[in-house]
Amino acid sequence: MFSSVCSAAILGMEAVPVQVEADVSDGLPMFSMVGYVNSQVKETQDRVRTAFHNKKMGLPAKRITVNLAPGDVRKEGTGYDLPVALAILTALGRIPKRHLEGVMVVGELGLDGKIKGVWGVLPIVHKARGAGCHTCIVPKDNEAEGQLIEGIRVVGVDDLQRVVDLLAKGCLAQEGGRQSRLSFEHLETDLGGPDLSDIRGQEGAVRATLIAAAGMHDLLYIGSPGSGKSMLAQRIPGILPPLTREECLEITEIYSIAGLLTKEQPVISRRPFRSPHHTISPQALAGGGRTPRPGEITLAHRGVLFMDEFPEFSRRSLEILRQPLEERYIHISRVQGIYTFPADCMLVAAMNPCACGYYPDLDRCRCTPAQVRRYLSKISGPLLDRLDLCVETREPTYEQITGGSSPVSSAQIRERVMEVQKIQQERYAGKGIRSNSQLDGKDLEEYCPMTREARRWMERIYTGQRLSPRSYHRILKVSRTIADLEGEELITDVHIREAFGYRIVEQKYL
Amino acid sequence: MEEILQRISESQQGYPRRLRSLPDMPACLYVRGRLPKEEQLTIGMVGARSCSGYGRHVAWEYARVFSDHGVQVISGMALGIDGESHRGALQGPTPTFAVLGCGADVCYPKSNRDLYEKIPLNGGLISEYPPGAPPAGWHFPARNRIISGLSDALLVIEAKKKSGSLITVDCALEQGKTVFAVPGRVTDTLSEGCNGLISQGAVIALSPEMVLNELGMDTYSTKGSGKKKQIGLARDLDLVYSCVDFQPTDHETLIQKSGFPPGKVLSILTELQIMGLVEEIGKNHYIRS
Ligand SMILES: [Zn+2]
Repeated sequence: MFSSVCSAAILGMEAVPVQVEADVSDGLPMFSMVGYVNSQVKETQDRVRTAFHNKKMGLPAKRITVNLAPGDVRKEGTGYDLPVALAILTALGRIPKRHLEGVMVVGELGLDGKIKGVWGVLPIVHKARGAGCHTCIVPKDNEAEGQLIEGIRVVGVDDLQRVVDLLAKGCLAQEGGRQSRLSFEHLETDLGGPDLSDIRGQEGAVRATLIAAAGMHDLLYIGSPGSGKSMLAQRIPGILPPLTREECLEITEIYSIAGLLTKEQPVISRRPFRSPHHTISPQALAGGGRTPRPGEITLAHRGVLFMDEFPEFSRRSLEILRQPLEERYIHISRVQGIYTFPADCMLVAAMNPCACGYYPDLDRCRCTPAQVRRYLSKISGPLLDRLDLCVETREPTYEQITGGSSPVSSAQIRERVMEVQKIQQERYAGKGIRSNSQLDGKDLEEYCPMTREARRWMERIYTGQRLSPRSYHRILKVSRTIADLEGEELITDVHIREAFGYRIVEQKYL
Repeated sequence: MEEILQRISESQQGYPRRLRSLPDMPACLYVRGRLPKEEQLTIGMVGARSCSGYGRHVAWEYARVFSDHGVQVISGMALGIDGESHRGALQGPTPTFAVLGCGADVCYPKSNRDLYEKIPLNGGLISEYPPGAPPAGWHFPARNRIISGLSDALLVIEAKKKSGSLITVDCALEQGKTVFAVPGRVTDTLSEGCNGLISQGAVIALSPEMVLNELGMDTYSTKGSGKKKQIGLARDLDLVYSCVDFQPTDHETLIQKSGFPPGKVLSILTELQIMGLVEEIGKNHYIRS
């Protein structure tokens, strides 16, 4: 007899429906699986057979053929175990076919018949709802994640026997009472996380951080070890505007596909902060694999990608980030086609001022001038012209640690960031631009009107400091954001001069 | 510019008289430009390669005053104090001379290209190594004896303990030359060499005029302190400027000292930079220039 159960494959960021068909016929006893399956999926046979055996649901001595359709979609992972098992049982007549109509199934089987969690449940449930399914059967571990989607029943199961009983009796409908109160329709975004008020001193660096967040400019911190570069960077997600529900769903889907959601944390409602180590491979940074999975840059989507020890990252790693940071998407091509992952994040880099970390404190720095220069020249890599702002970080003095000056909170800074981002949204409405950092070429002239005095200063700085056209553009963009922060339409000379103070000094020292 | 490298051996007329008294006098010298004038007062200036802003400033200023007084400045064209000494001297009318640790037709270090071009226009690049000789580690201590040998007195600006500059001091003392040292803050490792020399009897060099007087020369004031002094700065500008030191002072310190908001401080610092009053020598670290 023939049967068919609905499941899904994850391709890039998308769930694609897959029909799991089983046919049981007389003939030599055998179990075969077809339909572009990789070796991991082939193992499904063994897991299903053993699980049946241990649940005393032994397979009859018949010829069993399982096909995963469509045949041109590559199937990976362990999520087909449960649908295959259910398809066989349906073909054997142990489950009435109609009880599985409109039901999407995903889950991995343990040898003992227990059902284990899989990745990608959220987009699969999302897809199921779109495809008109009324119910999703998912592993218990992924239940909370699946139930984030409203308008579809999500039943979490942890045992094969139990699923079979439910389906045989057709009482799926009674199950799947909402366990979690979480859903995207009623999601409160999380504004917790480390707060800027923990930071003492660093007024200059905080100011630069505010400007960077307000204009979505990529940022570079330069400072000695322990001067608070990571502390500042970790607080950037908290000063960006709260996530919208759509953004939460988007990010949570990414984390679902990356297998990073847990029962305890089935939803991502805070802006991501990713801090890959500098030894990371280019693939892990950008995303990769036969059927590509998200890399760090995608995991940082709508949040912050923090690259500490920036000069230590391999040139290839930096090279591979260039295009996605520009386009806010990363495209990974494979034989089957091009996979696209979102990669809209703020790049925050950090580095020491020299190899030993203490230049220009000549009492502590042990580097020769040539060594300092060589170290700094490492940042002139492929990502250099993405970094609009560069600022010094410094350990607070004793007075600043103990002292009374009241630090600003993340909430205060966030409010200013949101104001400025609103100005930008209005200014660039319908232009395909969201923030000042995206200004380029002609737009720069159009959107960065300067006072006459500002023009004069720009010229003095440009010729006096022998700027490159690129650094001229960067200074102009940052000036735009500073003017927005001050609520001014025209860029003044004061804004230009401040922006100049945040430029990247390339190999200029000594 | 004709790129002719002169070779002058000890048997020749033009060989510097000052070097003839050295027990280990170089057999011959290669010169691009010319050699120092025998009858003119000559001061050797040495110090650390990675020096402080204070050191750079002092080297530049002393050398400029020397040059204004017709004193030939000799140094090694290295990074730091050496280079600044040459640069200061080039501000004045008197030629300056560099003794190199590589062939006189080799520009080392590359970043001193400006000096490599400018020094031989009036002064000279001098080496005991043949044309094309690459810079080798052992060349540098050896050339120090020529720096001190060609000088009537040696001035040390900034030096750590056990540094190459102190080797030059030893050479100078063996050759019977007067050694001057510029004092520094007792807490700076870069001052340990000079302060140590002073305590051992080197002449303290509180000003370039003092060095010249000590060497029997009358001094006169030379255009105040040159490009340095600017008056009539706006109040806010002046306040921030007064907080900038000859030691690297960072953005954060300046915010604290001036009490201005961070953006304003940066804006003022840019203004001071464009006016040539301060220099950014490390990210958001500023010194007076
Ligand atoms: Zn160092």
